[in-house]
Amino acid sequence: MFSLRTTALRSLRRTYATEGAAENVLKLQFAVPYNTFYKSSPVKQVNIPLESGRAGILANHVPVVEQLSSGVVEVFETDASQPGKKFFISSGFASVQPDSTLNITCAEAFELDSFDLSKVQSLKSEAEKNLNNADQTIATDAKIQFDILSKLEAELK
Amino acid sequence: MFRQAAIIAGRNTKPTQVRQYATLREIETRLKSIKNIEKITKTMMIVASTRLSKAERTKATTEQFAKQEKNFYANAEADKSPLAKEGKNLIIAITSDKGLCGSIHSSMAKKIRNVLKENANADVIAVGDKIKQQILRTHESNVKLAFNGVGKSDPNFLEASLISEEVLKFIEQSAETYNKISVYFNDPVTSISFEATNDPVYNEQTINEAPGLCKYEINEDLNVNRDLFEYALNSKILSAMGKGYAAEISARRNAMDNASKNAGDMINKYSILYNRTRQAVITNELVDIITGASSLD
Repeated sequence: MFSLRTTALRSLRRTYATEGAAENVLKLQFAVPYNTFYKSSPVKQVNIPLESGRAGILANHVPVVEQLSSGVVEVFETDASQPGKKFFISSGFASVQPDSTLNITCAEAFELDSFDLSKVQSLKSEAEKNLNNADQTIATDAKIQFDILSKLEAELK
Repeated sequence: MFRQAAIIAGRNTKPTQVRQYATLREIETRLKSIKNIEKITKTMMIVASTRLSKAERTKATTEQFAKQEKNFYANAEADKSPLAKEGKNLIIAITSDKGLCGSIHSSMAKKIRNVLKENANADVIAVGDKIKQQILRTHESNVKLAFNGVGKSDPNFLEASLISEEVLKFIEQSAETYNKISVYFNDPVTSISFEATNDPVYNEQTINEAPGLCKYEINEDLNVNRDLFEYALNSKILSAMGKGYAAEISARRNAMDNASKNAGDMINKYSILYNRTRQAVITNELVDIITGASSLD
């Protein structure tokens, strides 16, 4: 009886929380320190690169907090005819809140179209040179650079 | 003391004949210096107003950037965690190195002092020279770490992460556990007013005990909570710096606006005084000339 009541209460609370927004809509909040790409805008689906693999987030996703790896965030807006918008991000955090809001924050993010493949390749070969540098910090920096640039190159091809 | 000196100076100049010429020269130099001050304050005001729009934009974007942690803390009910009330308090007070912006830094210092009055053993990390000097004067033993060279232009991610890295190093080396870190900053409430407020950052143990955390699915193996704490600290410091910078710029604009207005008032008064004195001197000279001429007749 008691548990029944609490679940009933909880479900009531859930409907309260989502009442303000349209039903079954994922709200995306996507921000970098110098820009805000999405500000609680309704979207259909968002694909995000996680440390533990890629994930697609839809409305009413279970609340999670996940660490993002570098890769492509793909946003499908509510207009189904439009192709998904792709952003390349460095790394950051994503969390789904109980009210079906997806928060994505990262240090750097740019639209995938704005990258130049030849520039990426030249930077990558430059980073490759420093991979076996005697200085540990330079080598680690180069490793991170190389990893991110290889991912970016793979996405651009 | 100053008054006495002025009286003595006044006494010395009084009996001499050239007094009026000297005051005229004095008024002239005074007027010139006030005009120069007005030029400087006006320029500072213009510089501040041009920077304001950019500062406001940075404030907005960094605020959005920090929204994730805000939402997470609210939903996880981190403030209700049993650990949040325990342990030593760590205060990060964010101002800048530059003055000439009204009472913005001293109101922050006042706020921190009030907090320290209630919570005498809290540790303070000062970001910016202004707050460091003011807190060091009264609560020297509480200040553990200080940064300067901040607030010269819009804050960015790198600047905030350099600060948060040092803060994390300090927390790691410290014997105390800080369950709750309060980041104090000046919040620009409207374009003409600001308020010193704070935002909390909770460490991973506190988050682990938070009553609302069960709503979330969190991968424990990847140590997400620890990383989230570090990330949250960084974005809170960044957004606090963004707000503080915007508040400071608008306060500077207002302060410089007022200073220019006051300088304008003083210029008006002094130019009237100058003209009157000049007129008096001319009249005196005319009287001298006329009496001299009439005595020859």
